[in-house]
Amino acid sequence: MKPVRVWFTKDDECKYISHLDLNRVMSRALHKSRLNIWHTEGFNPHPFLTFALPLSLGFKGVKENMDIRLLDDDYDTQTVIDSLNACLPSGIRIYDITEPVMKPGDIAQGLFEVTLSDDETDCNILKQRFEDMIKQDQILVMKKTKKGIKQIDIKPHIIKYELCDGESFTFRMTLPAGSSVNINPVLFINAYNEKYDSDICYSITRLDIFDKDGNSFR
Amino acid sequence: MVNKSIEKYLLKVQKPAKYVGGELNSVVKNKDEVRIRFAFCFPDTYEVGMSHLGMKILYSLFNSKPHIWCERVFAPWIDMEEIMIKNHIPLYALESGDPLYCFDFIGFTLQYELSFTNVLNMLKLGNIPICTKDRQGLTNIVVAGGPCVCNAEPIADFIDIFFLGEGEEVDLEVMDLLEQCRAENTSRQEFLIRAAQIKGCYVPSLYDVSYNDDGTVKEITPLHGAPKKIQKRLMMNMDESYYPDNFVVPNTEIIHDRAMQEIFRGCIRGCRFCQAGFLYRPVREKSPEVIDHQCHTLCNNTGYDEVSLSSLSSSDYTQIVPLLTRLNEWSGKEKVSISLPSLRVDGFTDDIMSRIKTVRKSGLTFAPEAGSQRLRDAINKNVLQDELLNTCRVAFSGGWNRVKLYFMIGLPTEAEEDVLAIPELGQMVVNEYYNNPNKPKGKSVSVTLSASCFVPKPFTPFQWEPQDTIDVFHEKQKLIKSNVKSRKLTFNYHEAYTSFLEAVFARGDRKLCKVMQVACERGFHFDGWSECFDLQKWLELFEECGIDPAFYANRRRSFDEVLPWDHLDYGIKKDFLIKECKRAYESKTTPNCRQECSNCGAARFGGGICYETR
Repeated sequence: MKPVRVWFTKDDECKYISHLDLNRVMSRALHKSRLNIWHTEGFNPHPFLTFALPLSLGFKGVKENMDIRLLDDDYDTQTVIDSLNACLPSGIRIYDITEPVMKPGDIAQGLFEVTLSDDETDCNILKQRFEDMIKQDQILVMKKTKKGIKQIDIKPHIIKYELCDGESFTFRMTLPAGSSVNINPVLFINAYNEKYDSDICYSITRLDIFDKDGNSFR
Repeated sequence: MVNKSIEKYLLKVQKPAKYVGGELNSVVKNKDEVRIRFAFCFPDTYEVGMSHLGMKILYSLFNSKPHIWCERVFAPWIDMEEIMIKNHIPLYALESGDPLYCFDFIGFTLQYELSFTNVLNMLKLGNIPICTKDRQGLTNIVVAGGPCVCNAEPIADFIDIFFLGEGEEVDLEVMDLLEQCRAENTSRQEFLIRAAQIKGCYVPSLYDVSYNDDGTVKEITPLHGAPKKIQKRLMMNMDESYYPDNFVVPNTEIIHDRAMQEIFRGCIRGCRFCQAGFLYRPVREKSPEVIDHQCHTLCNNTGYDEVSLSSLSSSDYTQIVPLLTRLNEWSGKEKVSISLPSLRVDGFTDDIMSRIKTVRKSGLTFAPEAGSQRLRDAINKNVLQDELLNTCRVAFSGGWNRVKLYFMIGLPTEAEEDVLAIPELGQMVVNEYYNNPNKPKGKSVSVTLSASCFVPKPFTPFQWEPQDTIDVFHEKQKLIKSNVKSRKLTFNYHEAYTSFLEAVFARGDRKLCKVMQVACERGFHFDGWSECFDLQKWLELFEECGIDPAFYANRRRSFDEVLPWDHLDYGIKKDFLIKECKRAYESKTTPNCRQECSNCGAARFGGGICYETR
């Protein structure tokens, strides 16, 4: 038995597949592909699969991963990739199969690319507002936690950010991600909407995830 | 394809995956390379519509033709609808993202009467004029099929062509006709007149309906050479009938998230309340070899690990055990479980049980429909109390401890003692559990009694019967509730208000079109959903339009009254239905089709069970 990490992109229509539904989609694809994989051994055996870090609904993912266990130690990467892709909706594409190096528990940061657009607001104004916001001492937002809704300050959580060139207003932001602290970039957008009384449209891509030292998850 | 105009709003609605398409096996063609674009509309949510087998069959069939591109359209849920209206986004099809008005055909399936308002609402959201008379040219032909076509008079003003019976052939013939009429550059009216000549096509605008002073129908007169009686279409050879080898596999969970395999059409039973039992006659089976092959292919192509065998009454399939044996040859190995819904009380045998063991032991559901033997005989359910108790014994011995029993209240000839027999029967099942030495160890039993309100339907022996009033339904519900004494028994009941409206539509006539139109203008939708249904709004609307809903729901018709659906012919003779109704009054049962032919008229179709040796 060989544990492997399956790498894929999640885009187009498939951005709107929730984490729970993604489980089902992958499970069906594994079943359809007839790959010889390890199944759980309970009353209702199903393909064993686990995701390192769920992707929020509506986010594009360019470096997503899922762990499965192949029963053949001697597999051909390209064959596994091709047989899975043939069984998946076109918005999910597998591009690599590797041996897992890190544990999902090692994940500590996520890098997001956020594009904001608002029919009524010029790109330069958006940029100015963004800079005004980030300069504040505190960025207070309401966050839903297991214990209810509470107010938090996300300013100290912003690990890094940079503005990107281009026609639309885009920035990249590194935020805590993983099992202990998790800050969703949508919180920053909520703070923006609150401050400027707007209902801005956004598209978000998760570019990568890292361990606490900033090493890319492998 | 994600519709660009909608993308920015998608994160503001629940389950956006319903609105984007892009599922495995969905069909995307180049619109410049097809000649007919067909929008298959299901007038309910994605989760409901995607679970519907008929849509899957026709979607695949149409798309198997290179010149046709069939796409799917569902009713947007209220959150999405609000956004679409506010931002002027017309209702669109999932595959191309193109608005409804771009399509040659807009086809609806009418599965239940309470979806009628959704049909009109979807046309409105798609920027299509809702009235037939306001649509022009040889495009946007609005067609409808499904069981409710047997009396779709309440929406007759809005649909260009209704398809009676099974659509596999007639739909394609009408699409061909449109192409021909385009080539000849005919008018829309000429196209409809010619369509009316195709067997199975009902063009409501070609029929004039006159009324008596008392509001009943006087006469239905065909115009422009349309046939006096419109006959249903059906597929006689099920083995050779088209069946998809592929389903669109949704990316989000739907109601029936599994592969579905049809095993036969029709039902031998003839339960007198059941419309499907009469509309789909005669029984036509598929052979086990064909079912096995189709089933296997479908599981391979979809990746589903569960397949349900679909029919009106699975245990009536003559070769059920050989079929299950065949399926078991591969299903276990490939980790596919077989489920068998619609089991009859008298069909749950040890043999069947042992072969569907792979299925989760969630609970068993049976439908005795009535509490007393007398009433079960009157409705021709042909289930004996002993059979029910025996079946429960088998199930309890097999490890089940949850049973759900479905009943109807308000059935014709029902008296108080029949109502009281419902909780009594429930108690007997509970007792059966505790008297069973082989019951599951250390587990308690749970019996759920579920009672819906009877709605008399066209083309059944009860089509002349009045529905109980809402007050009477409430009294009967209270009576059952106060007689449920055991904590092992749970009693659920359906709200009578929706059943009342359903009864109005089910046997309505064209005078209701006016009501429907105003309902559409006021944005009525999703009447089948408690979130949206409001009887008060409907009652006000009926009053404004000068319509008495009780005339349709609660009035007894005489056998010689002209019924609004008398010009439609489903192969069942009216004399037979009258005879059956009279037998119900005498609490006399009628043998099922397999035991004996009762001469209902379906033999006219020249096949199926009517010609099997008994």
